Amino acid sequence: MHSPVEQFAIKVLFALNLFGFDIQFTNSALFMVLAVLVSATFLYFAMAPAATVPGRMQGLAEMLYEFVSDMVRSNVGSEGRPYFPFVFTLFVFVLFSNLLGLIPYSYTTTSQIIVTFAMAMFIFIGVTLIALFKHGLHFFSFFVPAGAPKVLIPFLVLIEVISYFVRPVSLSVRLFANMLAGHTMLKVFGGLAVMIASAGGVFVAGSILPLVAIIGLTGLEILVAVLQAYVFTILTCMYLNDALHLH
Amino acid sequence: MTLVRVMMTFRKYLAFGLIGLMTGGTTSVLAAGGEATGLPQLDITTWPNQLFWLVVTFGIGYIIMSRMITPRIGNVIEQRGRTIQDDLNRAKEAEAEAQTMKAEFEASLDDARAKAADAAQKAMSEAKAKAEEAEADLSAKLAKKTKTAETKLAKIRDEALANINEVASEVTQDAVKAVTGMTVTKAEATKSVAKLAKLGAGQEA
Repeated sequence: MHSPVEQFAIKVLFALNLFGFDIQFTNSALFMVLAVLVSATFLYFAMAPAATVPGRMQGLAEMLYEFVSDMVRSNVGSEGRPYFPFVFTLFVFVLFSNLLGLIPYSYTTTSQIIVTFAMAMFIFIGVTLIALFKHGLHFFSFFVPAGAPKVLIPFLVLIEVISYFVRPVSLSVRLFANMLAGHTMLKVFGGLAVMIASAGGVFVAGSILPLVAIIGLTGLEILVAVLQAYVFTILTCMYLNDALHLH
Repeated sequence: MTLVRVMMTFRKYLAFGLIGLMTGGTTSVLAAGGEATGLPQLDITTWPNQLFWLVVTFGIGYIIMSRMITPRIGNVIEQRGRTIQDDLNRAKEAEAEAQTMKAEFEASLDDARAKAADAAQKAMSEAKAKAEEAEADLSAKLAKKTKTAETKLAKIRDEALANINEVASEVTQDAVKAVTGMTVTKAEATKSVAKLAKLGAGQEA
């Protein structure tokens, strides 16, 4: 019996070297490449007609654009405009990684903690640098809640600092854990179906039940895939807003 | 919806369990001397490679999105907004034009109406004047006729009266001759008749 977490194993597809550095191409790398390739190809060809009255594909591409654009506008304001391409790339990358991972036999790169953590750290460091460049030392007033009683201030500052540094962890673990749990659950139900069927006889018919459950779960996982991409992006927007406006 | 909520809760606890397994796995990995038994995600030997590919793919993705995709979509949407705004402006202009035309039409209609009322008024007053004139003419004619008739009547009466006096003086002459045998001149008889007539007229009055 295979372990339900075996699906997350990294497999080397072919060896690759760059100036002596080992950059072997793995299943994880393949699906990162695919996420970019599929999303870029889709968006490029969907926008090819550039019609005033959009068709279905163009409408979908524009919807994606306006969704992220509205998110940036409502959470960050007009000052967030320069960061829009990054936020858009982030949303599309996470969304396509999550969705591609739901195709059977594919791989979910966002179920790798190192991938989500690297993205979260990049956002965390980037946002902190933006805040420092924009506000200088005034940035540290961010950790002092306004209107708090003087006695409580050291305590509150401690809490604020901790919650600030926990951000990359919570951001990355949220996405990672969701992907991990979803795919593990699918695998558990799949394993259950195989297990019931292998009992033979009338039990073969009984294996229908976990299979039906998998259909429902797949729908749920599609929802989670989109939702988590949205959550990851909107939290990025909020952090960016904090950096630009300090509350 | 309840089912979805139940599944979500189940997923959450599964995630907690797996993260617990993960930390347990890490210790067992360390205990087993690098032999991975926990989650494959915690095999740190795969991390540098994944970081490398993440940077490469995300970097290329960012360049494609920021240089090619987002400006293109932005342009199309902006262009559409402009087209819609232009059309709206044109519609507004056309509406204003229609409003002016309507106002002009209404003004000319009012003008025509006023003119018609004027003409009707004029015709009416003309007809009235004519009728009045005709009436006045007729009454004048009638008055003249009445006057002529009256004059004629007065003349006949006067004549009749004069005749009466003459007849009376002749009768008086005859009566005096027959009663007294005296002859009265015509002039005397006429004089006394006129005196009596005058007296009678005075009594009548």
